[in-house]
Amino acid sequence: MQKTVLVVGAGPAGLAAAAGVAASGAQAVLVEKAAKLGGTPILSGYAKLVPSGEWARDAMGRMIKRVEESKNVTIHKETKVTKLAGEAGKFTATLSNGTSVECASVILATGFTHFDSINKPEWGFGTFEDVVTTTQVEQMVAAGKIACPSDGRVPERVAILLCVGSRDRQIGREWCSKICCTVSTNLAMEIKELSPTTDVFIYYMDIRTFGLYEDRFYWKSQEEFKTKFVKARIAEVTRSPDGRLLVKGEDTLVKRPIVIPMDLVVHAVGMDPNEDNPEIARVFGVGLEKHGFIDRAEHYTNTCGTTRRGIYAVGAALAPETIDDSISQGTAAALRAVADLNALVQKSA
Amino acid sequence: MAIHEKTLIDAERLQTSDNLVLDGVDVSGHWNTMVLPRYLTDYDTDFARQIRTFSGGENVHRCWQCGSCTNSCTVYAQNTDFNPRYWIYLTNLGLKKEILKDKDIIWTCVSCNRCTNICPKDVKPEGVMKALAHWLEEEGHTPETKSSIFDNEFLGQVYATGRIEDTRVLVNFLRKTNQSLTPPWLIEIGKRMTKYFPLTFLMHMGLHLVFKPRTKSWGRTGEVLREYVHEQKEIARKARAMPKEAVHV
Repeated sequence: MQKTVLVVGAGPAGLAAAAGVAASGAQAVLVEKAAKLGGTPILSGYAKLVPSGEWARDAMGRMIKRVEESKNVTIHKETKVTKLAGEAGKFTATLSNGTSVECASVILATGFTHFDSINKPEWGFGTFEDVVTTTQVEQMVAAGKIACPSDGRVPERVAILLCVGSRDRQIGREWCSKICCTVSTNLAMEIKELSPTTDVFIYYMDIRTFGLYEDRFYWKSQEEFKTKFVKARIAEVTRSPDGRLLVKGEDTLVKRPIVIPMDLVVHAVGMDPNEDNPEIARVFGVGLEKHGFIDRAEHYTNTCGTTRRGIYAVGAALAPETIDDSISQGTAAALRAVADLNALVQKSA
Repeated sequence: MAIHEKTLIDAERLQTSDNLVLDGVDVSGHWNTMVLPRYLTDYDTDFARQIRTFSGGENVHRCWQCGSCTNSCTVYAQNTDFNPRYWIYLTNLGLKKEILKDKDIIWTCVSCNRCTNICPKDVKPEGVMKALAHWLEEEGHTPETKSSIFDNEFLGQVYATGRIEDTRVLVNFLRKTNQSLTPPWLIEIGKRMTKYFPLTFLMHMGLHLVFKPRTKSWGRTGEVLREYVHEQKEIARKARAMPKEAVHV
């Protein structure tokens, strides 16, 4: 009788799924391609998480510890699933380290890939050192110093450009990445905490700090930290003769073109489908939706389902997702997987 | 004509030199007309803070540009150039030059407070209008307003005598604002007063006009008051001009 669930990916969603399966008394096999557990918040060196404000290493650390200390979880790091044979209830997965895993169901918590700003060359990333991404600023905040990479000076002005790699048909990204607005307003506050004399400007088309993020992040950064919100989609980032950056665009409220000097320009990069999704789709036999994320089954009665029975998907593997909701979905998928195990037990009885 | 549709260009962006010779070629007059670019080249990042130091402007940075203020505005209904939402945006970005373009209508706010009552972010737009008007006056962008002239006349008399003389305040105010000393409404007041012939009152008025009586034991009180008001104004002015490092908000 099979009592094992295979969990692929050890980020927030995968760690939650493995912990959920283990807590119910079943066995979880957790497979992670990186050398470390924790997923993007750890691998990309995030600072404080939204909305808890807790350091990523502490919050993820607790999730990792819970899984590592569980006797019901087997962990394979630096490992990929290379083959999945069988069907719902009796899968056999082959791992890249040679192990073979018998499992009743699979939870894909394979996450996302940050948009690579190189694909928007007009915004200066890769051309000018002082054009960075939100991920790099997260790392600066985690290191406790905000500085221009070109010469280490503390920036007098920072421009955060929203929707980089999101909501842009030109580059085939027709989705909203959901969390960048909130993350950017949070970063604006963190920058101001590290350097109170720095002015932070957020260039936006819309501000989508949904739910309780509205006053806790958007309002707070505006009212308490004096972040300036400018309604303009930047057309181009160039450099002025004095070495500062120039952001060019149209201020749609003043109805005038702008060419404004800045010291640091930050791309609020969106969430792309995991770059490995074609491989994942092939190995696990699941479909991808039109943007390249893993395709969802009917949600109402087949929660977390994919196009293949017995295989569930959670978190940013399905669409841009917050860390908190990824964790909830991981826990939900654990319930689906454990319910499958119980059904098998009843069937064989 | 060298430039077509010249009327569409702001006059201030057109530059023409009456006498100009370039490489030996006479290009005087419209031959050298240049159009300055219309793009905005910088923000005054300290301006919003300065406006916040004026009474009424404290919440200007809260604005998210929903437009409720302009939509509810009594004056906007009469004059669509009167746009509080827009001026608040310009204030927050420090686009002073753009604000100055509207310096002659910002004061026309009638303080009906519909904007302040409807504002979802508690920006108090009516207060911002007041703050902007005061800033414009303080910086000399607009002439001293009649209400400031009245205030100064009123206060000047208080400092000097510890009391005000209605007739003198009125006459001096009308004089300083280049208004007729005998406006119809004043004549009407005079007429109605004479109907009752308030003899004692008129005698007092006449005496006070000539002798300028002081409040009993006023002494140096006026001087002290004047100094205090001056001090407070200086403190406010200094707060406005404070270097960024000292305030960083």
